[in-house]
Amino acid sequence: MSTHSVITASDPGAAAGDAAKSTGVVPSRARSRSARRPGAGGRGSGRRSRATTSPLVTRLALVPALVLLAVFVLGAIVQTVRISTTDWVGFGPMHSVGLDNYRTVLKSSDTYQSLGVTLVYAAASAVATIVISSLLAAAVSHGVKGGRFYRVIWFLPGVAPAAAVSIFWTASFQPHSGGVNQVLGHIGLGNAHAWLGDASTAVWPVVFVTVWAGVGFAFLLLLGAMEQVPVSIYEAARIDGASTARQFFSMTLPMIRPVFVMTALLEFMWAFNGFTTVWAMTQGGPGTATSILPVRIYREALLKGQFGPASALAVLSAVVLIAVGLVGVRASRSKEA
Amino acid sequence: MRNLLGRGTARAALVLWTLLAVVPFVLILLLSVRSNADIYLNGLGITGKILPGNYARAWQGSAGTAGLTSYFSNSLIAAVTALVFNLGAGVTAAYFATHLSDRSRIWFTRLFVSSTVLPIVLMIVPYYQAFNAFGLLNMPVVIGIAYGALALPTTVLIMHSFFVDFPVELLEAAALDGTGAWRTYVRIVLPLAKGAVTAVAMLTLVFVWGETQLGVVLLQSGESQTVPVGLLSFQGQYTTDQGALFAGLSLASIPIILLYLVFHKNVTKGIALGGVFK
Repeated sequence: MSTHSVITASDPGAAAGDAAKSTGVVPSRARSRSARRPGAGGRGSGRRSRATTSPLVTRLALVPALVLLAVFVLGAIVQTVRISTTDWVGFGPMHSVGLDNYRTVLKSSDTYQSLGVTLVYAAASAVATIVISSLLAAAVSHGVKGGRFYRVIWFLPGVAPAAAVSIFWTASFQPHSGGVNQVLGHIGLGNAHAWLGDASTAVWPVVFVTVWAGVGFAFLLLLGAMEQVPVSIYEAARIDGASTARQFFSMTLPMIRPVFVMTALLEFMWAFNGFTTVWAMTQGGPGTATSILPVRIYREALLKGQFGPASALAVLSAVVLIAVGLVGVRASRSKEA
Repeated sequence: MRNLLGRGTARAALVLWTLLAVVPFVLILLLSVRSNADIYLNGLGITGKILPGNYARAWQGSAGTAGLTSYFSNSLIAAVTALVFNLGAGVTAAYFATHLSDRSRIWFTRLFVSSTVLPIVLMIVPYYQAFNAFGLLNMPVVIGIAYGALALPTTVLIMHSFFVDFPVELLEAAALDGTGAWRTYVRIVLPLAKGAVTAVAMLTLVFVWGETQLGVVLLQSGESQTVPVGLLSFQGQYTTDQGALFAGLSLASIPIILLYLVFHKNVTKGIALGGVFK
């Protein structure tokens, strides 16, 4: 099953009707997909008419984007790797120190503590986000009333500035005065929980806010995939007497597997690289209890002037992430029909 | 019977999540007009007197800080700059990339797909170094260019999957009339791509309006900070004036939420287009 065509003319709800007209995506999609198949027009010139386009115009038009990408992304990465092999302290000249920074970082127990927190935070956030959003998407794709309304509302937490909602939730999680504690107090569960102040629990409110803000986006991706599953399959299952839960696990999930894995992976990577929610809620504390790698890198570099080790840490965290990403991509491709 | 039960549970879950998504924003609004004492008594802000003055104090900022006037104008400058660079370079590249041979086109999209996974944490040290060396720290315009560049992969991939399915007939007709490629793009393609361009513009705006990871590094002086970066320093200053803190949160969230509510159809469709790609 291809992960392409998430939206087609058969897409009900918000994708149909005027939304489709306003972007012009839907009507043309199904048709030109088939025209685009390799072999249908051969490689290159046959794919579509481009008699009026000189290659020069095409190439010039790509230049600004490629230059921006080269400077701000590729150039920056090369420079990070360079700084990671120097003793730069934020000003003055850089001296090469070879791989010393990597040795320092790999020997430090703080690195592993930070990596551990990052993995817990990212994995917990990704799993909770994907579980909640796929259940919500399954419900909406089964034609629950108000699907269009839910699509709009559930994405709100992801649109509001993360700093603003994180500060709100931080206040709500305070003992006694916080809204969450007061609600718990009213139903007899106690109003003195200092989750954020306790090193052993501080990560969970942060995971909660990350999931709360992230579900809307994951829901939209998964819903798009689920709406591609042919209705006839479900009808056949219903005649056979398969329960809703059974249909979800043995039909919906396998059918949307590639999008499902990619979404889980994206959520994991975003949490792994997250900064705003953690910084706004705990600044990495108490102590270093929630000091995920991006927070630690920021502290090392900007607050302590340890730019070399901080860069080494950034490079290592990117390597970990790319490894996870490759495994995930493989997982999404194996068994794919 | 079992089906009915299942439907009931599903319905309850949907209502629950909807409440969870909306209630915090209602609470921010309620808390933003309460006094400190009232917030202590009722952390949900349901009871107490209404004090619109909280908003004035939030807007001015506490003594020694820049205040929201400055945060908003900085965010606006960064956002407009980011949009100009992001859309100008990204949409154009996404369209003309559809004219490449299949082989080059695949390389082009691969380049941008792999850029989407590169974390900002890899950029902060070299950006700090370069911005510092050229005297560009604390300049919202310059961080706007960086934001525009960092949002390029998303813009390019979404717009590219939109343009790949652009009706060929229109382009052929333009070619028959002897319209040049650039004119065709500006006069015919862009007006028809309004919806998709709105979608990527919104996604870029949401990114800029909430970004702090680069912001705390490159915008260190109070007067240069954007709304989300400023909010982070807000928190410490308003421990004794919670009402004003919540008023600040509400002011920071309202513009982007309003824009989203106006353009939500484009946004949700844009995300589906981006999801298609991977």
